[in-house]
Amino acid sequence: MQANLPPIAEIWVYLSGSPLLALILTLSAYQVGVLVYERLGRNPLANPIAIAVFIVAVAITLIDMPYPKYFAGAQFVHFLLGTATVSLAVPIYKGFNALSGRVLPLLLALIGGGVTSVISAVGLARLLGADTAIIGGLYAKSVTAPIAMGVAERIGVSPTLTAVFAVSTGVLGAVLGRYVLDFVGVRAWWQRGFALGVASHGIGTSRAFSVHPEAGAYSSLAMGMHGILGAILIPVFFSWFK
Amino acid sequence: MISGLVQILLFQGLGELVSKFALPLVPGPVLGLMALLAYLWLKGSAGASLDLVAATFSQHLGLLFIPAAVGVVMFWPQLQAHALSVIVALVISVMLTIAVTALILKALTGEDSDAG
Repeated sequence: MQANLPPIAEIWVYLSGSPLLALILTLSAYQVGVLVYERLGRNPLANPIAIAVFIVAVAITLIDMPYPKYFAGAQFVHFLLGTATVSLAVPIYKGFNALSGRVLPLLLALIGGGVTSVISAVGLARLLGADTAIIGGLYAKSVTAPIAMGVAERIGVSPTLTAVFAVSTGVLGAVLGRYVLDFVGVRAWWQRGFALGVASHGIGTSRAFSVHPEAGAYSSLAMGMHGILGAILIPVFFSWFK
Repeated sequence: MISGLVQILLFQGLGELVSKFALPLVPGPVLGLMALLAYLWLKGSAGASLDLVAATFSQHLGLLFIPAAVGVVMFWPQLQAHALSVIVALVISVMLTIAVTALILKALTGEDSDAG
């Protein structure tokens, strides 16, 4: 019997033990997400990351692959997140020439946006009766995920919950941003990009780059500034609020 | 391409080291970003190779979030009891944050160029 085992099962066992399957899954799901996004005229509702995440989640559920096993392979993609963060210095540097005279408004807008993010999320969740553990996870949700998790550890709330809310916020901002910005009548690319970066960090920045390079540069600037300021100010804020 | 990648990795390493031993408050990649920014400022230009790597990364930034985001999707069912209040809080909060940030910028600079 053993000898008659179809070779496909052997291949399957071999592949699922190596990072290859998780990498193929991640990259091809992303490819599909981008294709759909492009085909639909870069409509924000067809967010390529959300599509890819959905495909991967369904796929690993169907083939019964536990998440830790998937991540063990996909971590090579995940690792590059830090490298990509460093590389954002280049678009920020290029945007610097246009920055003169905008530094103070940008800083004030960031503070206004950051405070709004914390107060509205924490206030609403409290009003709707969420428990303390969940509310704690909302403080750093507009800060890019790796920084948000560091902040969570420092203020003693769940890093996992914080990451869940940060990633969800990123996708929501990327999807809803255009409608909100059109509604409030803000049209300049740099202002739109910066607002997206403050509210929805890396995933919003990804969306901003796909719409306009200037929006992307300002969005990455916002994400970096929010990361630095958030890492310092959110713990202070937290001690006032709780 | 390779020399640009090497430069970025070196600054990432530098950032991680400074974060670990001197400034645990700020995460390594952010310190690396600041150091690279200072370096570009002093040098006066990014160079073609660094430019290419950075453009590739920013174009596909979204891809890098997928492995973590899949974990997020797997985690959501555990929030069942609180899902509604959390979703309402997240959606309204992100919309308010975008609106407030954008409106402050518009009010302070008075600029209203480009097409929406």
